Amino acid sequence: MTPGPIPPVTREDVFPEPNLRFGRLPQYSRVGLAAVAFALRDAGMEQWKTKRFAGLVASTRAGCLATDIEYYNTVLPEGGGPPSPNLFSSTLPSCFLGEAAIQFGLTGPTLIVNDPAEDALSGVRMALESLSWGECGTMLAGHIDLPAGPAIPGIRPPWTGGLFMVLENGRDSIANGYGTIDLSGGGAVRHNGNRIAGLNELVRACLAFRRPS
Amino acid sequence: MEERRSGLNEVLITATASVTGLGPDLDTTWRRLLAGETAVRPIRRFDTGRYPARNASWIEGLESRGDRSLLFPILERLLDGFAPLPPGCRLVTATTKGCIDTFERVRKGLPGDVADIPVSGPLAWLASRLGLGDPGVNISCACASSTIAVARAAAMIASGRADAVVVVCMDLVSEFILSGFSSLQALDPAGCRPFDRNRNGLSIGEGGAALLMMSAEKAHGNGIRGIGSVVGWGAANDATHVTAPARDGCGLIQAVRLAMAKASIGPDAISAINAHGTGTVYNDAMEVTAFESVFGPRRIPLNSLKGAIGHTMGAAGGIEVAVGLRSLAERTLPPTAGFGEPMERCGFRVSPLPQPIEGRYMLSTNSGFGGINAALVLKGNPG
Repeated sequence: MTPGPIPPVTREDVFPEPNLRFGRLPQYSRVGLAAVAFALRDAGMEQWKTKRFAGLVASTRAGCLATDIEYYNTVLPEGGGPPSPNLFSSTLPSCFLGEAAIQFGLTGPTLIVNDPAEDALSGVRMALESLSWGECGTMLAGHIDLPAGPAIPGIRPPWTGGLFMVLENGRDSIANGYGTIDLSGGGAVRHNGNRIAGLNELVRACLAFRRPS
Repeated sequence: MEERRSGLNEVLITATASVTGLGPDLDTTWRRLLAGETAVRPIRRFDTGRYPARNASWIEGLESRGDRSLLFPILERLLDGFAPLPPGCRLVTATTKGCIDTFERVRKGLPGDVADIPVSGPLAWLASRLGLGDPGVNISCACASSTIAVARAAAMIASGRADAVVVVCMDLVSEFILSGFSSLQALDPAGCRPFDRNRNGLSIGEGGAALLMMSAEKAHGNGIRGIGSVVGWGAANDATHVTAPARDGCGLIQAVRLAMAKASIGPDAISAINAHGTGTVYNDAMEVTAFESVFGPRRIPLNSLKGAIGHTMGAAGGIEVAVGLRSLAERTLPPTAGFGEPMERCGFRVSPLPQPIEGRYMLSTNSGFGGINAALVLKGNPG
């Protein structure tokens, strides 16, 4: 993830087939749903027939502030029309997780964690906790942020975009996976036993593990 | 003697506080709840002329300092006289929209502290106010936010990851929220009537709750007996619709069963249910369907606080835990304000009057946008 704006995400970028919901979603939800879709696709878990008890957790700093601005523009008198119910239903930072749950049949806990820390690892940390506590066997964990833009000056998350990874308990998937992620006793995220300082570093470590030598 | 199940620490709640439209403290809220009063009344904070429903449960006498959010005076009231926090206490908050009034001010071109708009603003304020070195995290899961925050705190303590956690839950009445629920045609202009045959929508509300949670070992070591325990928790998504609940209650059923399994109790042990009970047609019907699936024909006392204090969104579950523990201590379930005529197919005992509770376990549930459902099992201390 990098600072600054990201390009618009279209349905064709994510789903090869027409999708009833994607086009109605604001950019924040599109980015989040796309990241979940790509993670599941990479893990071979995108297709499903029966709902699965897998959870979703993502960290964020600014949340869906960009959607809040878009919605509130319809509330302000100069917006010129009635407030948008479609946009309002996306003004909770967790709603895109609901979209992902519907799209992919995921019935585990879904939550957003607002964390001022710059490491963007709270979602991963919470997912690892949930796995260790036996709350779920599979968790999708990540981070999402978009810049608020000029409407609310001064709010610039250090990282923008959406990033998810599929975390599973057990060792069965190690051969085809990206290594082992766990928590130290003090709560630090580790990859293959090495302490990780931020989400980008974690992704780099995962990709380096997967890359053929 | 500390109770341990499956090697987990027992999770006590050792202090509670709440601020609602009914009162600046839990005692006042409790007294007025028992009297069947409601704080849902015409909004005076902003112009509601363009909306069909113009009522909410709002807190009297809030004054912002300078251009800051009204959330801060709520938090000041909440924490005034609150129990001291033990060293190393962690902070977990729950809010859906935080300082949404500051956001509105800034977007209208009025002065406002932009730093308060992300949740990191109130988080930093709380950490400083509470003297905590760690700014903590906020849980955002729509209207189940604080229930999941309590569940998270309980899991942290049960697993030994934390000895003590203070959970602070908060949300404000704002035009942003009123307009949104109005656009969804989800508001009852007459005020919400949970589980009533003529229910027609929710009423928004504002408020806060603070809950100090500790391992039994930590509490007892400090001579603290505790008000009650969180013995079970569960969360599940129904994966059905973003703004409407699954008609079959599948997500709530799963969350309740997870919570009871965590508590190692069966349905017969539950003495009372504090339901989400928003007063919308589909939510209340979904809840009854789910509870019937879990509890069968048992006529368990069931209530909702939302006719009295409105739907306080991210604060709802936290306030309901504070009131729920008082209910178990007093062996009395508060009335469901706004309830008059039972809805169809509801076998549970809903009443506009206080109901006696026989037993020590209460189920408290919330459901929210995005399909999330969450459940807690609370255990009262023996009298």
